[in-house]
Amino acid sequence: MMQRWPVVCARYAGMALFAMFTLFPFLWALSVGLSTDPSGIWHFPAAFVPVEPGAYWFKRVFAEMPFLRYVGNSLLLSALTVAGVLALTVPCGYALAQLRFPGRRVLFGAMLLTLTLPSEVAIVPNFVTISRLGLVDSHLGVVLPNLASAFGVFLMKQSFEQLPAEVIDAARVDGAGEWQVLLRVAAPLNLPAIGTLAIFTLVTAWNDYLWPAVVLTTRTRLPISVGVFNDLTGPFAVSTSLVMAAVVMAVVPVIVLFALTQRFFLAPQALPMRG
Amino acid sequence: MATPGLSTRTAYLFVAPCAAVFAVFTVWPMLYNGWLAFQDYFVAERAAAWNDFANFVLLAESPRFHVALRNSLLMLLTVPAIQAGGMGLALLVHRPLAGVTVFRAIYYLPVVITISIAGIVWRYVFHYDGVLNWALVTLGVMPQGAGPQWLSQPGWALFAVMAFSFWKYVGYYMVLYLVGLAAVPRELTEAAVLDGAGPWARFRHVTWPLLAPVTVLCTLLATIGALKTFQEVLVLTGGESDSGTTLLFVYQSAFFGFNFGVAGAAALLFTLLCLGIAAVQLRLLGRHNPFARGQ
Repeated sequence: MMQRWPVVCARYAGMALFAMFTLFPFLWALSVGLSTDPSGIWHFPAAFVPVEPGAYWFKRVFAEMPFLRYVGNSLLLSALTVAGVLALTVPCGYALAQLRFPGRRVLFGAMLLTLTLPSEVAIVPNFVTISRLGLVDSHLGVVLPNLASAFGVFLMKQSFEQLPAEVIDAARVDGAGEWQVLLRVAAPLNLPAIGTLAIFTLVTAWNDYLWPAVVLTTRTRLPISVGVFNDLTGPFAVSTSLVMAAVVMAVVPVIVLFALTQRFFLAPQALPMRG
Repeated sequence: MATPGLSTRTAYLFVAPCAAVFAVFTVWPMLYNGWLAFQDYFVAERAAAWNDFANFVLLAESPRFHVALRNSLLMLLTVPAIQAGGMGLALLVHRPLAGVTVFRAIYYLPVVITISIAGIVWRYVFHYDGVLNWALVTLGVMPQGAGPQWLSQPGWALFAVMAFSFWKYVGYYMVLYLVGLAAVPRELTEAAVLDGAGPWARFRHVTWPLLAPVTVLCTLLATIGALKTFQEVLVLTGGESDSGTTLLFVYQSAFFGFNFGVAGAAALLFTLLCLGIAAVQLRLLGRHNPFARGQ
């Protein structure tokens, strides 16, 4: 359908206007972080353009907080979570989709039910459990409760159901055990969905703030989401320029990851719950 | 299908690890909250004693809890705003036009940005000398220096949380509406054009009815999302100046008040509230229920 040019212009104007709304906090942060001279921070609209641009404040971040340590912790926690979620939910989803056993409806129903409940109500009981297990202030304590992802099981079950039954039956006829069927036939055929789950889990784990903040106490064990927030809202928040530079540095990994994988997020077959 | 007995054993082996973690960290907490709710439980002593309904009486008499519950419900005001915003954005970017995919990515960006980091920047946006007050002065909404202290002034802090939530999540609903729009058959809109329908008539009589299933799903998700608002408050205001929500109350009662019993009681009430609302909405969803069938 051809559109007249005033309509096209109006749409571009609308899109640009909303893009400004989405981006301005970070454009401001970037500009302030890049300005070596911090005096213009509160002068608008001038504050959106860096004065004497330089990397001064970005270098200061490394001196003021264990930034690389936070990044390393985030990487470790995210990698452990992704590996754990895949190891648990792929066999579980496969069994729910392709195997018949007593209790499968109850199990799947219970998992679906919790999708509509806020997982945040579990933080107090889970903290008690984690402390009984002696896992407070450990990375294992952060990762463990996030492993049995109801969304992951849901996604895996739905995608394994799409596989043609003949392929799986053929493998069984050839004498493959269920583990071999899963690892050699079903999982390789289901890689797109597994990849989607891995990426969603990675982003969620990287961004997880509340639970790590509850479990971890030692500063050098904190992931970036908690460490940077604590440092920037506590006594270290001496300079707004430093805050903005650190914020930009903390956001860059997420933006890069998102840019590389945005097709998973923007063309979703199944989106996880928000936030 | 393989031999039934063997297959069942294998199936349990596949399911067991996941089910075990799920039981311990998702199901057990629900039951534990139900138990905590009736206990005098202070972490330091690790001692619990049955106290009947004392925790609930305490909640009923706590002004902070009343405010928190009210705020959780007030957050529902963001639901229509986010629906309108998400649908509007989807309509804006769903047709092929050079660069639309970039705009889609930009609108989705806040959804994937760490909430604590985003919260820090928005604290500066809401600062007394920040962008928001400058914009309001520039637009002539209020005179210089009349801006409120958004994050520390009662009445405004919750508004700040709402604005932040809208910014953070509207892109998520845009994507859901985009999925819905992709399912609107082109022939229908084109037929409407041939019948002489203007853009508004096309939207009102073709697009809007066909988007109904997505709208219901989005409303359900946004309602749960709004009710459970918590981290947004934590990272923006820390719950000061009357901006606390129910889950923040739970969190603070447990980890700052060290009264796990009261936290459990509040969590139990909140879980029941969410379950009730979700049950009503799932019933209204009927055949549009996304969980009832494989998509």
